[in-house]
Amino acid sequence: MFRAGILSNPLRPDGLMSVSADWSWQRVALAGMRDALMLPAWIVGFGLIGIGSLARDVGYPVDVAVLSTILVWAGPSQVLFFASIAAGAAWSAIVIAIAFASLRFLPMTMAILPLLRRPGQSIWQQLLLAHYVAVTAWSEGLRRLPGIAPHQRVAYFLGFANTCMVVSSIGTFAGYYLLGALPIPFAAGLLCLTPMFFLVSLIAGLRHRGDVAALILGLAFAPVCEHFIGGGFDLIVAGLAAGSLAFLIGRKRKPA
Amino acid sequence: MTQPIAMLDGPLWPYLALMLFAVLPTEIWRWLAVGFSRGLSNDSPLLEWVRAVATALLAGIVAKLMVSPPGVLAAAPGWVRVAALAAAAAVMLFDKRRMMLAVLAGEMILIGGVWLFAAG
Repeated sequence: MFRAGILSNPLRPDGLMSVSADWSWQRVALAGMRDALMLPAWIVGFGLIGIGSLARDVGYPVDVAVLSTILVWAGPSQVLFFASIAAGAAWSAIVIAIAFASLRFLPMTMAILPLLRRPGQSIWQQLLLAHYVAVTAWSEGLRRLPGIAPHQRVAYFLGFANTCMVVSSIGTFAGYYLLGALPIPFAAGLLCLTPMFFLVSLIAGLRHRGDVAALILGLAFAPVCEHFIGGGFDLIVAGLAAGSLAFLIGRKRKPA
Repeated sequence: MTQPIAMLDGPLWPYLALMLFAVLPTEIWRWLAVGFSRGLSNDSPLLEWVRAVATALLAGIVAKLMVSPPGVLAAAPGWVRVAALAAAAAVMLFDKRRMMLAVLAGEMILIGGVWLFAAG
């Protein structure tokens, strides 16, 4: 089934498989699933294995762990939630920490929704699409969606994101029962998968000078702000400062 | 461990806690974005700025996870963590299509590094 699709759609120069404008939505959704299974879904899935073990440590049932993957759909929020409960933090402190860590979804979602918007789309459909926004679907979406015909983007995005979510739910479930038995180097490797994939996705999505500047300045500002500001506000300050500066750099000199 | 709120305690507490204290503070930003992005056109400068801030925030999270690593990742010496990310980045800068190779290279350096150099 995929073979015909691959043969009739040779690789584009950027390595992405193309989607023909005359494909049915089912075929487009399958293309999204295939692209997710090429790598991204496995990375998120392995990255969320740790969540299962964290949930088990605080004595929560396995379905809360899996539900957290489906409903929160944000690794850092899930880590904060279970790890803070284990550490005995106050509920108010947990909420504030998670809210600050998740503020990134505001600009991220605002950036991707215009690509997915269609005439006649209801607010509920947009809320549903917004729920899938996390690093993987966001970075891959910004990279791949512009090359897909607008009327096919929602099917592609949902095929891609739902595949990531299913694989991750299985990963979370498996981690609940398995992770404690893993040797330390491999457990560390799983935990490093998330930042590594964040970085790799960001580099894959670089388009011009402004993007490069945002990446480099973000990497540089965050530790500095953590040192001098801290208290949960540091990441937001670093992101706003680095992003605004990068925006100005990108405006001054158009595409590199 | 953080205790349940007394009047809400019961077998459903973990589910309630998840909804109130994890789902809500995360999802709220995605919902707000739906409202804010209405009428925002695909090529507006505002969107370019928003994108730049989002990229910088993600890069910032990467840097923070390297500087103060969670859980057992702290077992990896700092230079091993940085070397692993640098290897992944180097592969990507050489060829942007090699995401799989980039992640594998980084992971090999990290796992090997912890194996060889982790204290204890």
